[in-house]
Amino acid sequence: MESVWIDLLVVFLKIIVILAVALGVGAYLTWVERKVAAHIQRRPGPMVVGWHGLLQPIADGLKLITKEDLFPRYGNRFLYNLALVLALVPATLVFAVVPFGPEFEVFGYKVKPILTDVNVGILLVFGLGSLAVYAIALAGWASNSKYPLIGSMRKAGVIISYEVAITFAVMGPLILAGTLSTYEIVQSQIEQKLWYVWVQPIAFVVYMFSLLAETGRIPFDIQEAEAELVTGFTVEYGGMKFGIFPLVEWYIEVLTLSAIGVVLFLGGWSPINIPFVGFVDPLFFLGPLSPYVWFLLKVTALFLFILWLHWTLPRYRIDQITEIAWKVMLPLALFNIVITSIIAPLIW
Amino acid sequence: MVRFLIFLLFSAWAIVSAVGVVTFSNPIYVIIWLLSCLIAVAGIFFTAGAELVGALQLLIYAVAIAVFYVFVLTAVPWEKAVKKDSHYRTEGVLSLPLVLLLYLEMVVVFLLGVVASPEGKFREAIAKIGNAEVVGSVLFTKYFFAFEVVSVVLLVGMIGAVLIGRKESQTYEDDTA
Repeated sequence: MESVWIDLLVVFLKIIVILAVALGVGAYLTWVERKVAAHIQRRPGPMVVGWHGLLQPIADGLKLITKEDLFPRYGNRFLYNLALVLALVPATLVFAVVPFGPEFEVFGYKVKPILTDVNVGILLVFGLGSLAVYAIALAGWASNSKYPLIGSMRKAGVIISYEVAITFAVMGPLILAGTLSTYEIVQSQIEQKLWYVWVQPIAFVVYMFSLLAETGRIPFDIQEAEAELVTGFTVEYGGMKFGIFPLVEWYIEVLTLSAIGVVLFLGGWSPINIPFVGFVDPLFFLGPLSPYVWFLLKVTALFLFILWLHWTLPRYRIDQITEIAWKVMLPLALFNIVITSIIAPLIW
Repeated sequence: MVRFLIFLLFSAWAIVSAVGVVTFSNPIYVIIWLLSCLIAVAGIFFTAGAELVGALQLLIYAVAIAVFYVFVLTAVPWEKAVKKDSHYRTEGVLSLPLVLLLYLEMVVVFLLGVVASPEGKFREAIAKIGNAEVVGSVLFTKYFFAFEVVSVVLLVGMIGAVLIGRKESQTYEDDTA
């Protein structure tokens, strides 16, 4: 009986830590984004509130919370609010299967820094990740307005197309790892002394494209396209209700999908890899903390890469986006699966 | 014990949502209830220890299939969605015997399935090699033929969709010239 309570306590603590990290970091990533964007465009960015604008997210949050809560006439209030919940919950749930580091011991009690090491973790990531489409479709419909509806239809089209591509893209690493559990995937990369990005470059490119599309980042942000749709499906939302959508889409989802990308392709918490030879750890002096720092560094690098793309590229048209998905990305992913499943059994 | 309680929770949730699907008239609410029902069923699979089936339920039914309903229904104007009366009264009454027949068939199949179910047969194998692996090995050995037949059906459906959706080889006459 005692062990059940300890298990419950550990799970509870993990949930608290993950939620705090996800939402707290999510809020502060707005500041990171504004700074990076500013420096890409040779501006200083937010400088006034706090040192180099460090308190800016708090000021923004206060401003958003104290704004008047507007509601469109003839909208559907229940669905309008439900869309917010449906956006936030699945996106944060994905963190349940993100492994942050190797197993460690506290007071003789083994703890895995992953909320639930379910043996179909990767499937859950994509199942939960694409539940976001409901939030967007409902937000568009419940607002009873033209721009949100067009935006949400566009976004639904994009998500449906790229959901297929991303699912086929991750098959390659899964074939090599021979498991669907996120924790085991990292373990098998460490055992095989190989980051899967070295042997799965096609899958990685398709994954990155789909990541950008699913999270509605430039060059795939046609669902909000400021110039034509104002801000797409968030037009009728105001205050913090408006703030939640970009927070979820642009930060939490990018963060989870980057973390899963690191797990699948970049060896999770393992240090720098020389293919088939071993690992080099320039951060060895951090001791047992080094795997966590590596994981964090890799996720940060992917996130900054996505920001860099966002503030550099122009926007695709909707027909170009779906054409790329079905005519380029899907065949590439299928080709990659065929090649991998032919070659992988010969080597391993 | 805990597992049984969670099972009860999910089944009650699934039943309530299923009732919601058939009683609500607004199609958007119906979709939400359907989604909730599918998620509850996925929860039942997870409590039963069938993680793979649960995840596939979530991935295929709750996301891939139900999303197309949403896709269509978001195009339904607001006034039509809240309309109470239906145009299909007579059709509904006429199709009732067939519906009852289908339900009868479902009951028969269910009872046959209970008799034929390999109770506890795979438990050892699952403990040894894992959930997804057992499903894969059974699917590609014992039920291989049925599996392939199902994929042919899907292929036929896909070809049909391509045929319907393809571009006309001959364009229509241009009246504006």
